[in-house]
Amino acid sequence: MQSLVNSGLISLGNNFFLIPFSFIDSFFFRSGIGDQTTLRADRRANRSRNIRGPHSALTDFLASNNISAAQIRDDYDRRVSEAARQANGETTAAAAEDQDSEFEPEPEPESPEDKVKKRKRQQTIERIKKTKEFARRKARKTGEPDDDDDWIANQIADDKARPAPGQLENCEICGKRFTVTSYSKAGPEGGLLCADCSKKQVKGDGKKAPAKKRVSGPSRRQNKTKLLDGETPHGAQSLLEMCIKKVAESIDDVEEFGDLPPPVMHRLSQILSKRRAVTPRILNLFLRRNHRELNIYDCAQLQTDDYHRILALMPDLIKLNLRFVTPMKDNIFDYMVENNKSIRDLHLRAPNLVTDDCWRRFFIKMGPRLQSLKLWDLDAAFDNKTAEVMCENCTGLERLKLQHIVKIGDETLTAISSLKALKHLSLWFSQDTKPEPLLKIISSVGPNLRTLSLQEFKNADDTLLQSIHDHCRSLTKLRFTNNDLCTDQALTSLFRDWSNPPLTYVDFYALRDVDMSNPAGPPEPIGLASNGFIALMEHSGSKIQSLSIASCRHISRDAFETVFDENKRYPHLKNFDISFTGPVDDYIAQCIVRCCPALTKLVAFGCFNIRDLKVNMGVAVIGTVSEPTFKGIAQAETM
Amino acid sequence: MWHGPPSRHVYKPVEDRRLRDLHASTRTSMASTISEYVTLVSCDGFEFIIPRSAACVSGTIRRMLDPSSKFSEAITGRCTLETLTGIVLEKVCEYLLFNEKHKDQANVSDMDIPPELCLELLMAADYLDT
Repeated sequence: MQSLVNSGLISLGNNFFLIPFSFIDSFFFRSGIGDQTTLRADRRANRSRNIRGPHSALTDFLASNNISAAQIRDDYDRRVSEAARQANGETTAAAAEDQDSEFEPEPEPESPEDKVKKRKRQQTIERIKKTKEFARRKARKTGEPDDDDDWIANQIADDKARPAPGQLENCEICGKRFTVTSYSKAGPEGGLLCADCSKKQVKGDGKKAPAKKRVSGPSRRQNKTKLLDGETPHGAQSLLEMCIKKVAESIDDVEEFGDLPPPVMHRLSQILSKRRAVTPRILNLFLRRNHRELNIYDCAQLQTDDYHRILALMPDLIKLNLRFVTPMKDNIFDYMVENNKSIRDLHLRAPNLVTDDCWRRFFIKMGPRLQSLKLWDLDAAFDNKTAEVMCENCTGLERLKLQHIVKIGDETLTAISSLKALKHLSLWFSQDTKPEPLLKIISSVGPNLRTLSLQEFKNADDTLLQSIHDHCRSLTKLRFTNNDLCTDQALTSLFRDWSNPPLTYVDFYALRDVDMSNPAGPPEPIGLASNGFIALMEHSGSKIQSLSIASCRHISRDAFETVFDENKRYPHLKNFDISFTGPVDDYIAQCIVRCCPALTKLVAFGCFNIRDLKVNMGVAVIGTVSEPTFKGIAQAETM
Repeated sequence: MWHGPPSRHVYKPVEDRRLRDLHASTRTSMASTISEYVTLVSCDGFEFIIPRSAACVSGTIRRMLDPSSKFSEAITGRCTLETLTGIVLEKVCEYLLFNEKHKDQANVSDMDIPPELCLELLMAADYLDT
């Protein structure tokens, strides 16, 4: 028995069993820790590791023989301390002893209670396993190799057994008494540490306990953003694109672009504009005397002076493409008329401070030279009269785009029909218009048109389609959206026996009937439905590159099966938008992928029946509920 | 892999047998099959020996090395890029291999480009059609 006592096994359990008693003594005296505390800390450490060492077995045995380990140890402590006091009469030791005795518990038989405690703890753990906290921790832990229910439950039990904040506790390392806070750290043996020791502990732990390991590479959200931006989901980007992005990132450090070619400047401008970073300083980088075009997609931060600077520093401009140009005023337009005589392409978005008078002056002087005019979002000026002046003077206009110009309507449409040189026409009016002026445009300029885009002409009807069929024979792009008057029959006859060569770009977004009480639509289908779709693909399938049939919800499943039959191939179709077409399910989508070998982008918002789509590498699938699987790529990598 | 300008004091390529063999491996005689490696040389004399497949990611280099063109580059498997410095060409080669390595992977993060190099690299990328 004596040897056991000397080895320290009885009093302190397996944790200290190699430490000689002399050390433990000095530790106790110096720190003044009561044995209760030590034992508690000791047990806690045991619990957290879930090890039952010789401690419990021996104490069990001793307890069964009615011998208290604590009693033996206390006696030993007293003897040693008395000896020490007698030897040198150290006051500190005495004080420590006094303090020590304050915390001394009544010598109680540990051992029988241990069983009870063990059982209680077991019950506690069982209870904890049913709690929400346990489920939460388990969810967080899954994936780790050694996730163990008991271990998690033990952790929670230990956390609960910790002294609550506000209680007093003795530090495990330095033994100082301190107030427990929620920031108190656990020591190496499971006890708590005072503020100073906690700090040291954290420093030591810093390296071995890093924050949750993050998988390197872009996040899921970034990947989705890239997809929507049209970037390929596979392989590296081109070096050019990477560099342009990097330059845009560190634009504040760039003093001069050097001899960057115009396409690169254009791309840089796009990226910077998207970030809304084009300030007067950055504008300077884009102003190059020898360049013939300037594209800035966000001029919101530029002042009136900056427009003068653009026009003065680049007098040979041929193409001027500025968006959100609110501070642009009459005097800038007048200056442009005087100074920049070579401008042929003018693309302006929202120059709302320019008056009608100025527009007319501008068209009278510059009109004959203009080849391309694109205007968006005008509401304060630009009325029908101005548009008429424009059409009278811009005789050489080949490309015209007018979108969301509030004050123009039927008269403007009538005037546009006099622009005989038009090759590209894009109209999106804010006012409601009659169908007749559109017919007039098609009949007079239709034969020359290469591209035609008519958006939200709600009153256009079958006669318009008939007119396109009769007059247009060089179209490559046709956009006709948001209409619920044209019938499937008219769309079918548009594509049947049409002398126009196959189209490469078709957008029939939202050609459908909208009637809440009759979701299936009338028996004679309205909008692009089965027959129209089949006729369209028969006519243009061989050349089509981009196709949108979004929201054309009366196309039947049978029509999809016919169009994407096993033997059909659409070799050039790259972009395909099938959003909100109900019948498209996994099978149809798979047929689409099979029939379109060149497909790079499949937009399928609201196609809830697409659940498990397998696509080739390089195809961006946007909007599906579930992630597509890529042939030859592990699913994990696609995240 | 690269070695310094052809100055005796800086580097002696002849003495490195492995490098010499590597150089030999990039050379193709008219009759033999085209070699698997090509040499890219910068204007200041740095040489980079990289796989042909990686080099051909660049449209310009691909056209230089096209065997049907009978350009001297195609015959010798050695492209001298007079407009690029060694530093830039090193980064270009890094990209070519980066591209080769990640060509079948989904959602590749961008290669690290030092900001001070990016404008020069941008010009190089434009020239090389990569």
